[in-house]
Amino acid sequence: MPIDLPRRTLLQLMAGLGLAAPLGRIAAADTNAATIGWPNDVPTWDPNQRFTPDAQPIFKAVFDQPLNQDPQLKLIPSLVKAWELAPDALSMAVELRDDVTFHNGEKMTTADFRYSFLDRVRSGLKLDIANSMKKVQDIVIESPTKAVMKFDSPAPTMPQWLAFLGSYVVPKNYIESQGLDNFLKKPVGTGPYKLAEYELNSRIVLERNDKYWGPPAKIARITIQIIKDPSARVAAIQSGQVDCTINIPVREAQRFGAEAELAAEINPITRVIMLNVRADLAFADENVRLAAHHAIDKSALSKAFYGGAAVPLSVLATPGTPGFIEDFTFKYDPALAKQLLAKSNFGPTHPVKIGLATTNGQFPSDYDIARAIVQMWKNVGIEADLQVIEYAKYFELNRGGKLPEATLYSWDNATGDPEIFLGYQLNPKMPFSPWKDEDIGNKVLALFNVADYNKRIAGYRDLERYAVEKGASMPLLQSVVTVVRKKNLAYQRYGNGWLLPQTLRWG
Amino acid sequence: MIATVITLIARRLLAAIPILLIVSALLFCLLRTLPVDPAAMSLPPNATIAEIEAKRREMGLDRPLPEQYVIWLHGALHGDLGQSIQLRRPAGSLVTATLPATIQLAVAAMVIAGALGFGGGLLLFHLRGTMLEPVADLVSILLLSIPEFLWGLILLFVFGVLLRALPFTGEVAPGLPVPHISGFLLIDSLLIGHPDVFYSACRHLVLPATALGLAFSPTIMRVLRSSLFDVYHEEYIQQARLRGLSERQVLLGHALKNAALPTLTLAGVQFGILFSGTLLVEVIYSYPGMGNLMVDAVRNADLPLIQAIGLTYCIVVLLINTAVDSLYLVLNPKLRVR
Repeated sequence: MPIDLPRRTLLQLMAGLGLAAPLGRIAAADTNAATIGWPNDVPTWDPNQRFTPDAQPIFKAVFDQPLNQDPQLKLIPSLVKAWELAPDALSMAVELRDDVTFHNGEKMTTADFRYSFLDRVRSGLKLDIANSMKKVQDIVIESPTKAVMKFDSPAPTMPQWLAFLGSYVVPKNYIESQGLDNFLKKPVGTGPYKLAEYELNSRIVLERNDKYWGPPAKIARITIQIIKDPSARVAAIQSGQVDCTINIPVREAQRFGAEAELAAEINPITRVIMLNVRADLAFADENVRLAAHHAIDKSALSKAFYGGAAVPLSVLATPGTPGFIEDFTFKYDPALAKQLLAKSNFGPTHPVKIGLATTNGQFPSDYDIARAIVQMWKNVGIEADLQVIEYAKYFELNRGGKLPEATLYSWDNATGDPEIFLGYQLNPKMPFSPWKDEDIGNKVLALFNVADYNKRIAGYRDLERYAVEKGASMPLLQSVVTVVRKKNLAYQRYGNGWLLPQTLRWG
Repeated sequence: MIATVITLIARRLLAAIPILLIVSALLFCLLRTLPVDPAAMSLPPNATIAEIEAKRREMGLDRPLPEQYVIWLHGALHGDLGQSIQLRRPAGSLVTATLPATIQLAVAAMVIAGALGFGGGLLLFHLRGTMLEPVADLVSILLLSIPEFLWGLILLFVFGVLLRALPFTGEVAPGLPVPHISGFLLIDSLLIGHPDVFYSACRHLVLPATALGLAFSPTIMRVLRSSLFDVYHEEYIQQARLRGLSERQVLLGHALKNAALPTLTLAGVQFGILFSGTLLVEVIYSYPGMGNLMVDAVRNADLPLIQAIGLTYCIVVLLINTAVDSLYLVLNPKLRVR
């Protein structure tokens, strides 16, 4: 028998049981506030200290960078309103805005700029920007708004670095007077939001900076709820406990896309999934390397694991970035792979044996992609022994020359500049690449000193093609980021996957 | 009795010193033999191989393992458990910042596990010999086979997503302040006179604590039932019946008291295990405790932080065991005579 319970009574009962609170919250959604489910906490509140790609959108809400990127990743002015890299790339003149104040009311000047990118680095603090700014020999202050950066060797990518990881202007006076510990507890930036509250591994509460020099944020209060588990993020958006979340499994994003109250996007970003390969062991044979690359059906991988949204790549650069080559395609051709292997006396009945390392859970579907590749290789005559490694072990294994012939790897480059794609990946002096070969290594190192932008980009494009044709570079897919949000919560989409709190708006 | 308990505690604390030294040495050696490179992890991605080598030397990773351990131990004895590689903060301060949340969660879970365990144990015993006994057995075995993280997901789905009855992210609702006095949010919220924060914190605690409690209650349930079976064969139970006491009085007044002792010992051991079970539950519920921190530390090969958290778990388990033994001594007069 149905119970006839008046709605008011039911709500009172539910309120008594504590059940109505979430429903009430949903009904009375505050358009001046939003909650985001975010996968990672910031490592520290010193924005110069750690290079953590996932934390950049949070840092960019509280701090400003000298330069910024537009949604298509083009460099645009920010705190620096004009900049000019010298033709020899040994110096760069910058002109700062004169209307910027920190959250504590102090004016931002070139003294803060010099402090952030030179004085702090030289003071011996353990800052990651010590590496990106290591070519900075001096920053000569000409006025409160004008300065010249001097480099000890050509620094052609300095403008890109001023809009990249760790490059944020911090307040000199505040840190010097209050001490670093107090700055970490109560960080002060020039960004569109002030940090109102922070709970380690739990939540970050941002409040709009009403005196921001740029366009004011549309939403007054943003709560960033740290939810590390992807299933919990799925549940949080589904239950309405957050208004927006990122990096949930692709299949879940597709499912949410069909729901009336939610919108879901699977956005390709400047992150490349690739195979990092060695130049020795069984891969000393160029035929084997090229066969391994030709045997991989990248479109099938994209369809199977990323709903077809991940773009198959032929070079180590993503579409729309300067290093991308539109008219170059490295074909999926299993017949050609078999022919190449036959030249080296291998085939399905007499397979070449190699190792393939992969992480499991470091990026979406990594282990599944590796398993699919093993199967694709088996079809042409490559027998791969699949090994699961922790990302943290990658560098140690590479240092000791213990990585197998190929390793599945994901590389993020928010700038889109080819130096930070191919230049880093095949640089023999850097810890990423297991490819140790003088021919390509010297070509890469030479490009690090090319000052002319066009010449540098052309050089990288040539080298990208060359590296792929030699089997030294095996790009697979452009990675994706998933965004699920309430339908009436809009955001600005960026080519590098940033979801900036200051671009969120209800409407 | 107090003197006996104090002697026991003192003896246990003295015994804890070599245990902690052995555990810390084992942990240190184990972590250092892992094929991870803390030097590379502590530097930015654009560091060169030469810079990583220099960092290895700076971190003392090129020295013999015993020397590295002695350096660490010297620091630890002076309150310095090292610096977190990933977070660039003292590992000790990170542990102290997150430990209260984990203790709060574990205690709440233990209360739930105890209530469900004792209640369920009594019910199982009550159903003995009835047609419902096999069903009850089956249910208890089913409960026993579900691990805490699965309970976490089930409860999250049912009460968080389906019914939308309880929150499942974080420690308190967005918009409410988080006071920092003792680190225990439930206590701090009352200290600052914010019942709304207390209420919200309780609601946020319900699902993770229940997930943990449900996973540990079946063991308590089954041990209590077995103990009651044993106790019911004792002569004093028959004598109690002959004295005309009702079955209820026999059970609650005589049998339960004695059957509770082995159950209490088990609950103590369970509490140690439950404490380490917070790891995954904290991640699922985004609960800002030490387990959550540990998962990050492992993911980033943050060896100093792993070492600090591992050692803290060891200390907590030793303290729990000491507390349980002391309680056992208080409750069991036979042990005091010995």
